[in-house]
Amino acid sequence: MSDQSSGMRPANYGIRKMYQALANLIFAVVTVSLLAVAQADSPEQAATDGTVGLDEQVQALKKEVMDLNRDLFILEEELLFPANTQVAVFVSMDVGEFFALDSVQVKVDDKEVANYLYTEHETEALHRGGVHKIFTSNLRSGEHEIVAFFTGVGPHGRDYRRGASVKFEKGIGAKFLELTISDKAAKAQPEFVVREWE
Amino acid sequence: MYRLFRKSILGMTAALALAVVAPAHAEPGPVEDLHYGEVLFYFYSEDYFSAIVHLLAADESQRLSRSETESQVLLGGLYLSYGLHDEADRIFHSVLDEAADPGVRDRAWFFLAKIWYQRGYLDEALAALDRIGNELPGEFEQERHMLGAQVLMRAGRYEEALARLQDWDDKSDWSEFARYNIGVALARSGRGDEAQDILGRVGRMRARNDEMLALRDKANLALGYMLLQQEQPGLAKEALQRVRLEGPFSNSALLGVGWADSAEGDFQRALVPWMELRDRSVAEPAVQESLLAIPYAMGKLDAGTQSARHYQFAIDAFSEEMGYLDVAIDRVRNGLLIEDLLAANEDDRRGWFWQLETLPDKREVRYLHHMLANHEFQEALKNYRDLEFLATNLSNWSESISAFEDMLATRREAYAERLPRIEEALDDVDIGAIDAARLQLEGEVARVTDQRDVLGLADGGELRQWQELDAAARRLELLPDSPDVKALRDKQRILAGHLYWQLNHQYPARSWETRKSVRSLNRIVRQAMQRHHRVQAAREAVPQQLAEFEGRIAAISPRIDALRGRLAALLDAEQEHVEMLAVRELSLQQNRLQTYLVQARFALAAIYDRYAEVSP
Repeated sequence: MSDQSSGMRPANYGIRKMYQALANLIFAVVTVSLLAVAQADSPEQAATDGTVGLDEQVQALKKEVMDLNRDLFILEEELLFPANTQVAVFVSMDVGEFFALDSVQVKVDDKEVANYLYTEHETEALHRGGVHKIFTSNLRSGEHEIVAFFTGVGPHGRDYRRGASVKFEKGIGAKFLELTISDKAAKAQPEFVVREWE
Repeated sequence: MYRLFRKSILGMTAALALAVVAPAHAEPGPVEDLHYGEVLFYFYSEDYFSAIVHLLAADESQRLSRSETESQVLLGGLYLSYGLHDEADRIFHSVLDEAADPGVRDRAWFFLAKIWYQRGYLDEALAALDRIGNELPGEFEQERHMLGAQVLMRAGRYEEALARLQDWDDKSDWSEFARYNIGVALARSGRGDEAQDILGRVGRMRARNDEMLALRDKANLALGYMLLQQEQPGLAKEALQRVRLEGPFSNSALLGVGWADSAEGDFQRALVPWMELRDRSVAEPAVQESLLAIPYAMGKLDAGTQSARHYQFAIDAFSEEMGYLDVAIDRVRNGLLIEDLLAANEDDRRGWFWQLETLPDKREVRYLHHMLANHEFQEALKNYRDLEFLATNLSNWSESISAFEDMLATRREAYAERLPRIEEALDDVDIGAIDAARLQLEGEVARVTDQRDVLGLADGGELRQWQELDAAARRLELLPDSPDVKALRDKQRILAGHLYWQLNHQYPARSWETRKSVRSLNRIVRQAMQRHHRVQAAREAVPQQLAEFEGRIAAISPRIDALRGRLAALLDAEQEHVEMLAVRELSLQQNRLQTYLVQARFALAAIYDRYAEVSP
């Protein structure tokens, strides 16, 4: 046994050293990785290998692209939908406990102009106070009619489809219409209203 | 496919950061500002890019009815969400003093403190935290405590961090994470006894969910290896045995238990956890190490033949793994890693909070688990993904710009074609003369109504009758008196009187009708004049508008092209960086395997040498 042990000494010696090294390594890896998980972003980590330089370049470029998008967005809107003919339709939700929205269909002057299916994420965004622009177009000045159909699940989990309409006068300036889904608490029913904005 | 489980405090923090401005608008109610609401729609849909662009555009077009401060705080929150820390920092810093609402100000100070901390500005982070006046809403308050401790800890002020946590009477998960952090930090700074106490407490906590179970395992693992380093195998084993048998840390724990047993000289017992590891994935470092530890223990137990067989097994396994690593490095260098990772995590959400959730079932991914969860890699991949999105965005705009140019050319042609007809139509209409006639008519009606001129409202037939009766009266006046003439004069008077009576009787109705017609005429003429004016204005404005649009397009096109060029270069650099990180990690594993391979071969050769020596 002793012979065999002495015969294996170099290997065992190496493994002992390796054991110590690995124990140190594993402890370091475990603690570093756990620190990385448990703590928020660490500048020491972020600073490695020139990441900061690259990250700063990415941040600067993102900002420039967003500023460019702002200018392009305004240019596009002014070009495609001049203020004197612009009509935009928005969807909003006030409480909305009696109605789970699936989709909204919009008709202007008896012509379908939008049919939007909402994702769960988007419905949640509406619930939290977000407003969705569902349609933008150009209309001549004069009287027009908008009809909106709301499809979803109503009280008692039943399929629900209701419409709301309004005649509106399109003047010289941009016209904004808001389709609001709200609750009629007294009747425990949803309510759909079209509201005009100037 | 399988899920990468990594719900960390970083993730929780990020999710909370989403609400930097949300509490102020969380209550549902009637919409006050459509354009601000549209920004919130994108914000809550986690489409930060669109939210920022819409907010910037609405602000530029002066469409927001919200206060500048409120919009700026939202913009700061959006920039933070999208990973633009510098911009968020700049905005928060500039609006904090103006923010009248203490809630908004406190939240902004809180997020500013987070940014300072992330950037390593620890004194500034503490100063910002100290400026928070009231208790923050929800979990922000717990995170504030945690952040305070983290800042102190990173500054090396462990006593203060500990004191801050000890004073914090919190039973939430946050305090456990904080204790764990401090325990690890103390261990790394050589304060073993204190670390042992803190890590031991976390390691014995009652875990309520998966995150806490994982944290408890991590604490026990860290404690176990620390105690192994301190040559306290008995205590180390106790800690390591508290790690769950099935879990992300079980391999390292089993390995450690074996080392603890071997440190106590019980190699037979050490073989039990190591043999358990032998059947697990060789890609795991703990399994690789166990393949060397097993024959080492067998050697200690005088089982030379078995030891040699296991060394050979280890050599074969390491060689095979090195081959796989070669293939994995090739795949990474060919761009397949990024492709696979992004394909497995396709969703539209972008920004700072995005992280890998699903890993592709590819061989190279097995070797990269640790690195994939690493902050630096996640950030680099996130940047790459964002840059790809921006490249697509600019490409789409580039196409749109071409369409805009075509649209303007079409409008210019249509205008040139219509202009002669418009000019002809304008020349044919003397709108001034029409308006003058209208004015004259309006004046005449006013005179008739002022004077109650009943004849003024007679129609053509009645007026003719009246004129004929008038002429007849004049002629009858010239005739000598006679019974016949007298009879005719009477008849004329009766007819004239009847006609006048009729006109007088109908006067009120006719007057009302006439005034109504005049009003209607006024309206029609006014509309005609407005249209005439608009057409005239458009005739002059259209060329100017077209020229202005052409100028804007001409100015914006080079910006798109320049940014696309820079973006492409940065995308290449980011891809190179991501691949470098992966290759570096794989190479480290290759080097480790190479070391193990050499160790195993050397040990095996030593055994053969020994047998050769003792053989006759």
